[in-house]
Amino acid sequence: MSATELLIELILMPLVAFVVGMMMVLMMRRIAAKLQRRIGPPFFQPLYDIVKLHSKKTQVSHGLIHDIGIVMAMGGYIAAETLLPVPGMNGIAEKGGIITLLYLMMIPSLGLALGVGQCANPNGSIGIARALTAMLAYDIPLVIVVFGVAYAAGTTNLIDIIAVQQAGGFETWGATQMPLLAIAGLIAMHASLGKQPFEIYIAPAEIATGPMVEMGGKYLGGLFVMQCFQLYTTSVLYVCLFLGGGTNWFDFLLKSFLVLAIPMSIAYLFPRYRTEDLLRLMWKWPVMLGLIGVAFVFV
Amino acid sequence: MMLTLLDELLLFSGATLLVALFIGRGLAAGWMVTILYGGQLLALLKMAVLGYEGGTIASSLTLEVMGQALSWRFDALSWFFALITIGSALLSSWFSCGAWERSYIRQGGNIWLFHTAMALNVFTMLILLASGDLLSLFIGWELVSWAGFLLMALAGGVAARAAMRYITYAMAGGMAIFGGLALIYTASGSLQLEAVTTAVEQMSGAKLWLLVILFGGGFGVKMGLMPFHLWQAPAYAETPGPGSAFLGAISSRMGLFAILLVLVKLFGIVKIESLKVPFTLIDARDLLAWIAVFTIILPTFTAMKQNDARHLLAWHGIGQGGYMLLGVVVADAMGGAGGLLHVFNHATYQAALFMAVTAVIYRTGTSDLNKLGGLVVRMPLSFVVLLIGIIGLAGLPPMNGFVSKWLVYRSLLNQGMPLLFLAAVIGTLGTILSVYKLIHNIFLGQLRVEHEHVSEAPWSMMIPMLILSAIIFITGLMPGIPLEWIASVLQTVGLPVPDYTLGGVESSSGSLDMIWVIGVLFAGFGVGALVFYSAGRSKRVHQLDNYAGGHFLSADVRYQYSDNFYAGLMHLIGGWYRGSFLWLERGITSLVEFLSLGMQGLYRRANAEFYLLTTALFVIAWVVI
Repeated sequence: MSATELLIELILMPLVAFVVGMMMVLMMRRIAAKLQRRIGPPFFQPLYDIVKLHSKKTQVSHGLIHDIGIVMAMGGYIAAETLLPVPGMNGIAEKGGIITLLYLMMIPSLGLALGVGQCANPNGSIGIARALTAMLAYDIPLVIVVFGVAYAAGTTNLIDIIAVQQAGGFETWGATQMPLLAIAGLIAMHASLGKQPFEIYIAPAEIATGPMVEMGGKYLGGLFVMQCFQLYTTSVLYVCLFLGGGTNWFDFLLKSFLVLAIPMSIAYLFPRYRTEDLLRLMWKWPVMLGLIGVAFVFV
Repeated sequence: MMLTLLDELLLFSGATLLVALFIGRGLAAGWMVTILYGGQLLALLKMAVLGYEGGTIASSLTLEVMGQALSWRFDALSWFFALITIGSALLSSWFSCGAWERSYIRQGGNIWLFHTAMALNVFTMLILLASGDLLSLFIGWELVSWAGFLLMALAGGVAARAAMRYITYAMAGGMAIFGGLALIYTASGSLQLEAVTTAVEQMSGAKLWLLVILFGGGFGVKMGLMPFHLWQAPAYAETPGPGSAFLGAISSRMGLFAILLVLVKLFGIVKIESLKVPFTLIDARDLLAWIAVFTIILPTFTAMKQNDARHLLAWHGIGQGGYMLLGVVVADAMGGAGGLLHVFNHATYQAALFMAVTAVIYRTGTSDLNKLGGLVVRMPLSFVVLLIGIIGLAGLPPMNGFVSKWLVYRSLLNQGMPLLFLAAVIGTLGTILSVYKLIHNIFLGQLRVEHEHVSEAPWSMMIPMLILSAIIFITGLMPGIPLEWIASVLQTVGLPVPDYTLGGVESSSGSLDMIWVIGVLFAGFGVGALVFYSAGRSKRVHQLDNYAGGHFLSADVRYQYSDNFYAGLMHLIGGWYRGSFLWLERGITSLVEFLSLGMQGLYRRANAEFYLLTTALFVIAWVVI
């Protein structure tokens, strides 16, 4: 591949992720509206929101780290997208692999954590403490799942992991080969999105939306962009690990939206767990499923 | 007689010690000692051929003690560890010069003792690293133990108590090593390094087990391996700042050096793997790996509960040692390289972290995480150093800690060890939680009224910190630089060498190229910044201009979340292992006390018939067996 082609891919991949991510936010809101018997927002609402937030007149900053935190939150995901193969574009996926991708996906949250820290608001700090605890909760089953998939495929290279699944059609999909891991992965993915019943770190009634408490204008706008990327990255990663990636854009996007619709539909039916309940749940069921799943991989 | 390069290095190091000893009281002494450390580094760099091509350089000094020849030499393994030792000594000593030194003297500290103890530590470590036979290894080991004691104890008070605890453990470890040497000597009749290999060939399973336990335990004490880890955190944390940086960077790695030399190079991983634990499915190598992961997990979660920045870091130092041992005992190309690379990486970020915390103590007088906050606006450069350090410690891109941990993970994945892999990741996640607490409670959140006029750390402290930060980033960007040395070390100890490049490693089962990863990461940040800064200008507000549920905040209101930081997590796991190792330690202490009381009773009771009876019993038992 020539350098120009690679450069175009590196630019296109985050851009596609952003556009698809906005559509995923729209889907999330529409699902919530359906379940609550509302009409829901129009098609371009996510875009309007981002533009509106970025062009607000009052922009309140608590200092340089506050700003940099938002930049890191967006930038980390933009970088992560280039490691995530999509139909026809691999970017630099083979130079990092799945472990690097998982670690890059932590950078936005940690950037956000720094930014929130400088806001000097205990609600925000409690939110971050809870968010990091939640990360400790869901990353443990997620890591078991990733281990199982990577060990079964014999590589940490996502391109190869997808190729192995596409070799024999539906039969060789990760979800068919390793159903237990797929279920555990779905639960962990749901928790990683931070939606109900796992939205312990937003908790508007207790800690005044936690990390977002001092965020307004373009700060909130940055977090909105981050959420678009987060939805996209999480669901596409799941598709790459278990649903055979995408052979073409249609089936790729269909799978990504469908897999995301599952936790979204569950989310708006539930209230919120307490922190320790989230830990207990994550360390019990998905971990157990994951470990049994890994045992099957070894057999 | 011609002086070899190793002689020059050791003489330089001895000279540093003498300078510290005789003129260590003056204020210029710190600078002189620092320059001499620089000289030691140059002398070491003259031997750089060891690090790049391997081979050995012998010292011209040899001794004959009771028919045993003692010799000293450097190979790639010694060179690699010596580089870290002298590098961290140079930067820690530089850090201690000038401003820190003056404040230390003002507070009644003995700066002469400090410089002497540091120089003595470096000197004895170099002697240990140069050991060319088992006897010189043992002598070096004891010297290092006592030198460490001196540095740990010099602050007095709590530090002296911690140091006493350390020396008790270290002596017990020394005895275990001595027992191992005795076993080897009886089996092979020699104390040369090769004797280990011959002895191992002759010994039976049970004796080999004993040997592994004696050496593993003895060297493990220094590394702070479970369950011998209790001494380390308080002993390192309570040492005066630059001393903590030096000890935290390299001191306990001497244990890993000895394990690499004796158990990996001479004993051989294959031989260790052949030792089965009776009645179970695991072997001695698995046992070591499991000890390593418990050393990763438990101290990491203990660190999370600390309310003192120095103690928090020292506990992490124990935990990170587990990754090094884990990589080394997995012993494939990636694991060995990861374990050794982590030694280098850990030294860089741990020293930087201790220095940043010391800078905070220098300016504010405390390292209590509940009494700080918001310092980023007053000490921005120290914040940056601490940030770079914690990213390294947590093992996240783009800093060097990520690369070594990535290698360890990959080796566990390649070898199909899911539980060890999981445990290693749990340690990393715990570290992320813990270091966020560290940076949040010191630098983020609300600035306290009494810290309103604090200023940035002085340049004499700042420059070494910035140098370390640069090393952390550059070796994260180009891990090929240290991997080149490590390749020689791996060859020396007989482990496979990975296919490394400047940016990482090449492998058919998934490669890593940090130059690309960091490139896109910073490009991503650039795009993020473009989006962020192209939007409307923001207005900087005062920290008290904040959401407080309808109340107004004033300067006397403490509006900061710092205590019991991970309340939800601790609610669940808090009670799981509270103090269980303290019970173990107390149990051993009472057992020893009980035995000594028993012995004393036996000894004091001058009862001839009873002695006769016991002796007869022993004789009969001996005859029967």
